[in-house]
Formats: sequence, structure tokens, C-alpha cells
Amino acid sequence: MAYLELAKVSKGFGPPSQRTAVLADVELAVDENEFVAILGFSGSGKSTLVGILAGLIDPDEGDVMLANKVVVDPGPERGVMFQNYSLLPWLTVEGNIALAVRKVMPGLSRVERAEYVQRYVDMVNLTGSEAKCPDELSGGMRQRASLARTLAMRPNVLLLDEPLSALDALTRANLQDEIVRIWEEDKRTVVMITNDVDEAALMADRIIVLTPGPRATLGPSFDVDLPRPRDRAGLNRDRRFQALRKRITGYMLNFTKTQAGDEARSRRRMPAIEPRVFEAA
Amino acid sequence: MKYKILKAIDVSGLTFLAPIVRLATGEEPDVQIRAIMQMIVVPIVAFAVFVGLWSQLAPRHKTKSGEVPTPAVVWDAAQGIWTFHAREGDKETAYVLAGEQRESALMAAKDRLAEIDPLTELADRQVADAEQEKSAQVAELTAPLRTKLAVVSERYGADQAARKARWMERADRTAVSDTDARLALLGAWNEHDLRTREEREELKNLRAEIDTVGAQAFPALSAAQKAQTAIAEERQFLRKRIEVLTAYNRNEKARAGEQQLADLRSKYLQADGGAAMAGLAANIARTRTRVESIRESNYARPYTLPMQILRSLLCVFVGFLLGSLIAIPIGILCGLSPTFMAAMMPFIALFKPVSPIVWLPIALIVVGGFIPDPDDHWLINGFAGLPLVGWMKINPAFLASAITVALCSMWATMVNTALGVASIDDDHTNVARMLRLSARERLFRIVLPSALPLIFAGLRISLSVGWMVLIAAELLSSSEGIGKYVWDMFNNGASDSFAKMFVVVFVVGSIGLALDRIMIVFQRLVSFDGAPTAI
Repeated sequence: MAYLELAKVSKGFGPPSQRTAVLADVELAVDENEFVAILGFSGSGKSTLVGILAGLIDPDEGDVMLANKVVVDPGPERGVMFQNYSLLPWLTVEGNIALAVRKVMPGLSRVERAEYVQRYVDMVNLTGSEAKCPDELSGGMRQRASLARTLAMRPNVLLLDEPLSALDALTRANLQDEIVRIWEEDKRTVVMITNDVDEAALMADRIIVLTPGPRATLGPSFDVDLPRPRDRAGLNRDRRFQALRKRITGYMLNFTKTQAGDEARSRRRMPAIEPRVFEAA
Repeated sequence: MKYKILKAIDVSGLTFLAPIVRLATGEEPDVQIRAIMQMIVVPIVAFAVFVGLWSQLAPRHKTKSGEVPTPAVVWDAAQGIWTFHAREGDKETAYVLAGEQRESALMAAKDRLAEIDPLTELADRQVADAEQEKSAQVAELTAPLRTKLAVVSERYGADQAARKARWMERADRTAVSDTDARLALLGAWNEHDLRTREEREELKNLRAEIDTVGAQAFPALSAAQKAQTAIAEERQFLRKRIEVLTAYNRNEKARAGEQQLADLRSKYLQADGGAAMAGLAANIARTRTRVESIRESNYARPYTLPMQILRSLLCVFVGFLLGSLIAIPIGILCGLSPTFMAAMMPFIALFKPVSPIVWLPIALIVVGGFIPDPDDHWLINGFAGLPLVGWMKINPAFLASAITVALCSMWATMVNTALGVASIDDDHTNVARMLRLSARERLFRIVLPSALPLIFAGLRISLSVGWMVLIAAELLSSSEGIGKYVWDMFNNGASDSFAKMFVVVFVVGSIGLALDRIMIVFQRLVSFDGAPTAI
């Protein structure tokens, strides 16, 4: 029985006369403690999907179900880690986390709360930067703080909205490992949005492709049957990984081709260059 | 250390100090010297040019209140204001001094008076000398002109008489029938009349020229007169001080009263008959009350400019506080609810452009209605009981001025608060929704902190508007303060009143500048990076 479900969810924007359907008939079922990556093109409605899962956006049709109950409003049991961090700039790292902790665990005493916050600060390796404000932190540190705040809410479902897309490659790799490590220590249901096939394959149990919009919907799901812990360096040589990546990229390139063809027919001539898949040796 | 200082400079907005600190620590001297030239030297040079132009141009414009004062005169006036303030303070303390302190103060005053007596004579003599010298010099300068005047006026007198005589002669010879000749004579008279008027004009110009020479500024004389006035003023002050230290002193007066009381008591004890005793008893009671009130009394000190500045500052803060207490809550409601904003819009649009000159009389009447008896009202008594501001005698005029300040200055805060609350980042709202913050928590933990930089930007505008409005309001309402000081100076027509008004210009400007700086510091302290503050 799936833990988190989307049932026939549709969402559009704009006035009724010329409404653009962003998502149409989205069906999703995520098991408890499963790590699902949703892979999508830019502009395909990934953030809208997270918004709907979090309850921040009301779907036009369909329902969000959590443990077989329909949920409507946002809540701390579905913790979102936003793409642009969404830290409150007037609070320190500690203050940002404490704000969430105070709300989720109102019973804690001041000392208990400070200890609790410290534990999450340590968990994301921000020790020493507790008293800094977000604008004094680098992008990676801000994202860690955001992660700590989300984790500190002890959500049943963790929703990660392209959490690493704004970071440089090194920081990104670092945080990928970190998130996986934390998830393995303290399992919970995760839905991660990304546009990076490697990232998805490295981190997730299952990858679902979001077809390009408008009227985007979830395509086939690819199981990632690579054993954990996964080794970043070794992965590129792993046959199964290569095959998986080829399948997913092939599926996605198919869309690109169709789209390019559509565009060529409708508007402009595209240069006669065909993208190819280069396989790693 | 260096970075701490630089940070403090940055927060306080005194950025012109930064290059000096950097230069002192040897950081890129070329760049710093260029920055110092631009940020410090250029403004100083510009100000010096301004003062130079001012001192050159001011004396050329004569007005009913004398020449436009030069910077030097204005500086003297500023010192005069301060001396007056200090002397009034001296008298105030002298009034309550007792015992040895009084004795020694009295001695000092008498000594000083004895010291300046010969100086007075000297100053008088110097003025007389200077006057003599001036008249001699004027006489010498005007001698040729006066000779010319005498000669010319004599000649013109003779000419006129001769012309008239000739005309009469011709007229006598003209027959009645000779109409043409008579008409020609009429023309000749007109000509004579014209000549006479021209000659008179010429003489008048000559006299004016002599007067101009006599009225020329004579630095030696004005310096001597200034010294004389200064000594005369000090003498007058010392005499008054001695008076306040002796007969007029609070404790001396009380002692005299006690003496009188003792006399009356002994008389009463000896008195015969009910009627006489009753009269004395009433007298004793009256005298005792008087002595008690003398003991409580203080020197009736007139308001001096420094005191008026303090009162103006209190007034602007009361008005500013009142305005902010109205503006911020309404601004928050406007920002939170577009409906409430729509409801408030007509009021904001309608009342914002109204001038303080219109608000003030209305405020005066409304406040007067609430406070029918200013001598016995809880609000007035409450202010009088406060430390630090009790002496300022808060009255309805003060309250009306403060209300006017509030009515004129609150709009900037209101509009900015509404903007700040309405433009809260969607991401922050999403965080609040995800955490299921209650309305209260949302307001105090998310909305207000994110709107704070803009609220403070509004407060800063409000305070500077309020300070401008206040001077006009005080001038109109006669509430003791800087505005009233200007009005008094405009009306009293003393020789240095005009210069004192110029002093006020600089005082008001400097205080306005300081208030703005303080608000900038607050604004910087509540701002976080990326907050919209540039308004």
C-alpha cells in the first residue's frame, strides 16, 4: 500500500479562457521510506508538483493522499526543502531552525530546544556557523541550513525541490552524499525533484520521468537496483548504472526529438545536428 | 579592529570617515587620498566658497532690519544667544543659593563689578574717541563736496532770482491785447520752472552723496561700540545677579518673612481685645502662607534658545510617536488586507497633501475642547510631574503642535509599512504555511521582521517631515520652541534679531541632519542583506 499518493491531479494557470494546463492526470504512488527522484526538463512543472505535494498549491482536480488520508493544507509532516533555500534572512541559522522546532515540538524547554537544534546543525556540518545570518553564508551552507531546518521538523515525507541545482559541482557532490547518509541513518519517505540523471541514479531507489509540459504527466518509472552504499567514482564503470542511464536518457531524448520536430514543422528550421549519446568506456 | 571601525562607520552612514581609517592603516594611499579629496576636501572648499560669497554679498542688501548679516555677525549673534542662556542659568541658581555659597557668589559678583567699572569708562571714552575720529574723517572726506554744494546752491539761488526778475520785467511790458506775447511768456515760465526743478534735483543728489560718505561703515567705531555694549550688558547682568543674591534671593526673602512673622507673633501675644487679636491672627496666617510659597518658589526664567530647542525636540518626538502609533498598525492592516487598503485609500489620498498650516488651528481648537482648564488637567499635570521634561510646561499649544506634526508626518510611515507588509516574499509565506504558524506568529515572526526595513525607511521620512512641520506649527501656535523664537525675533526688531534668525537656520539644519543620521543607524541595524531600504 503506497504511503504518499497523487490521484488524477491536474493543475493549470491563467484565466479560464486561455488556461495553460501545467500538469494533467498525474498519478504517483510512493512507498513508505522510499527515495523517489522525479526527473524533469526545465519548465515542465516540477516545482508545481512539489507545491501540490506539500499542499502549498491547490490542485484543480485530484487529491493528495498521505497514509490513505486526503490532505489539503501544508503542514510540517511534509517538510519541503526549497530550491532557493527560503531561509528567513533576519534570523540566524540557529534561529531559523529553532523557529521550526518551536512550532513542531512546543513542549521542549529552552535548553532542550537548544540541544535539539545543535544536533541538526551538527548533522549537516554547520557547526560553528550557528550564529551567522543567511547572507553571511555561501550557497552550499545556506542549503545545509535549509536541510537542517527541514530535518529538524521530523517530517514523515521529505520533499526536496531541486535542492542542489544552484550549487557548484563540488559542493553539490558533497551534499548529495550528505543527504543520502542522513537518509540512510534515519529512513523516511523522500521525493526529490531534479534535472540531473546522475544525481537521481546516485541517490534514489526509483526514478520517475516527468514528461515535458504543457500537460506534463509522470512517465514510466525506472527502478534503481544498485546496491547501497553507492560509490560515486565506481558508478561510472558499473554496467547496470550505464544501462539505466542509457534507458532514461534515451527516453528523455525521444521527447526532445519529438519536440524539436514539432517546432521545426511549426516555426523555424532547426540546424541538422543530431544529439548523440556518448557511452562511457 | 580596523574592520570593526569600518563596520561601525558603515552602519552609522559616516562613510566619509572610512578613507581616513584606511589611510591610517596604510591601505592604498593613492586611492584613499583621492577619496578624501572628494568626500572631505571638496565639501569643505564648497562651504568656504559659500561663506566667502555670503560675507561679500550680504552687506550690499539693505533692509528695514538693517543689512543682511555677514557670517561674522551671525557668529557673534550665536555667542550672544549662548551668553544670554548662561547668564539666565546663573540667575536661576543665584535665586536659590543660601549660606556661604551665597556669600561667596556675592563677593565674586561684586569683585567683578568693581573690576569692570574702570573698563566701562575706558569703553565709553573709546567710543567717544572713535566717534570724534569718524566725524573728523567724514568732515575731511566731505569737505570738497560741501564746498561744491555751497557754491552751487548759491549760484542756483541767484540764477533763479534773476530768471524770475527777467520774466517779471517782460510781463510788465506786455499789453493786454498782445495775446501771442502773453502765451509765449507762459511757455517761458514753464521753462523756468523746469530749470528750477532740475537744479533742485542736482542739489539733492549732492546732499545724498555727502550723506553716503557720512553713513559709511567705520570699523573702529563699530568695534568700540560692540565692546561698550558687551561691558554694559555684563554690568547690567552683574547688578541683577547681586540683586538676586541679596534682597531678591529666595532664602533672604524667606528670612525677612520669618522676621516679620516673629514680630507679628509677639504683637499678637501682647494684643488687647478680640478684634485686634483676630486681625493679627489673620495677618500671621497670611504671612506664613507667603513665606511657605517663597520657599517653594523658583526664579522666573525666560525661555532661551537652548531651552526652546529642547522643548522643540520633545514636541517633535511626541508628535512622531503619536503619528507612528497610528500609522504602523494601520499600515500593517493595509498591507495584510487589500480590502482594508481600498477602504483607507481615500483618506490617505485626501489628507496627505493637507498643509500643517491648516491642521494646526483645527488641532488647537480640538485640544482646547478637551482641555478646558489647562492649569488643572490630568494630562498637563502628568507631563509636569515627569522628570527631565517637567520644566517645559507642556500646554495645549504644545499638544496641538505635536498633533500637527503627527498628522503631517505619519503618511510616509503608513504607506511604507503597507508596502513592506504587502511585498513580503512568497518563499517566506510558504515557510509560514508549511510550519502552520498561527496568525499572530505569522505577524510577529515573519511579516513584521521582513517589513521592518521599509517601516524604518518610512519612519525616517516621517521624522524629517515632522521636524520641518514643527517649526511652522510652533511659529503659528506660539508654543515655546524654535518656531516661536523665530517669530519673536521677527517681531522684536532688535539690532541683532536678523542675525539670530540666521543662527536658527543653522541650528534647525544641524538638528535635522542629526535626527536623520540617527534614523539611518536604526534603519541599518534592522536591515538584512537584500532588504529594500533605498527609499
